[in-house]
Amino acid sequence: VTRSHRLAHRLIWPALALLVALGFTLALTLRPPPDPPKVAGETKHGNPS
Amino acid sequence: VSAGFRAVQWNRDKVIYDAILLAGVAIYIAGFAAITSRLHPPKNLPDAIDIWIRASGTAAFLMLTVILCIGPLARLDRRFLPVLYNRRHFGVLTFLVALAHVVLMLAWYLVQNGLGELVTELTTWSDYGRFIGFPFKALGIAALLVLFLMAATSHDFWLSFLTPPVWKALHMALYVGYALVVMHVALGIMQYDRSPVVPLMLIAGFGSVSVLHLIAGWRERAGDTGSATTSGWVAVGPPGSIPDKGARIVAAPDGERIAVFRDGDEIGALTNLCAYQNGPLGEGRIIDGCVTCPWHGYQYRLSDGCAPAPFTERLVTYRVRVNAGILEVDPTPLPPGTPAAIKCPDIAA
Repeated sequence: VTRSHRLAHRLIWPALALLVALGFTLALTLRPPPDPPKVAGETKHGNPS
Repeated sequence: VSAGFRAVQWNRDKVIYDAILLAGVAIYIAGFAAITSRLHPPKNLPDAIDIWIRASGTAAFLMLTVILCIGPLARLDRRFLPVLYNRRHFGVLTFLVALAHVVLMLAWYLVQNGLGELVTELTTWSDYGRFIGFPFKALGIAALLVLFLMAATSHDFWLSFLTPPVWKALHMALYVGYALVVMHVALGIMQYDRSPVVPLMLIAGFGSVSVLHLIAGWRERAGDTGSATTSGWVAVGPPGSIPDKGARIVAAPDGERIAVFRDGDEIGALTNLCAYQNGPLGEGRIIDGCVTCPWHGYQYRLSDGCAPAPFTERLVTYRVRVNAGILEVDPTPLPPGTPAAIKCPDIAA
């Protein structure tokens, strides 16, 4: 690959990796507590996986 | 490739590659669905669809992770080069699996007459200002669009039309796509599924991609430092220090790399950029008398950098000389296809 491509790669990749690592850590630590057990007959609507 | 246009360049190796790929993906998805169905039998149709959503979603994530690991792995260990060879088909299949994930998600809403809920979720603009509670499906849709762009421009037509540097720069958007996928999962299922499997999958996947890129990038750094003698020529070393049928890579003062190959007593210098995808030519070998790119097997004559007939690619060449027993390269590029190789009859074997 060209020198400029390598340079762009080296700038973009660590910046994105840091952002994602920060986002993932926040998402993990700020997770809401688990839902209480479902009541029988509760509607299914919510979120698929 | 330059000899004539064909919609898809299939050959025996690519057919085997694709067959293994398809079988692997089918076994993973079917296996995931079978095991999950046994452990948590679905109570209704939405539950059953949900299992397939998980199967296709985790498959797409793992495939994308593997794709992003292939590049640095191939640079760190040549044994991974065969996996790099047909990576584009891997990418297109990843897009199709991700598309199946989205279609299944739509089906999940449809069978419950809940499409309106999905629209509401995606158009509740105030939620876009939150972190926990962000409409994570929007991140997934954005990632799918990136994957679509990559798949749609993966054909050689676009590579040729955009030129390899622009095409490769465009395909760096895959990193953005991967970041979107990781956050789609982290802000989506990880928020309401308390199983440690999801965070562990993200940590293992994202961690592998990051560590491999860091190691490969660190090892690459040394190769970018160019140096020239006072005469302006770049020293390579004694001619015999270049492995026969192999190359040494040196950097020009501007940082671009030059591949200096030896074939017996013939020595020549070519740009390190393959004409096809700018692959690292100097990491290849001389096969059947031609310099052969390690990525996709494109070949060039050492004497003048031209691809053998009927192909038409031509590479930039460089002048070489032996000065006081040391091989040197003139870093000024010659026009593509210029004969510049020399004979060194007394070369040490």
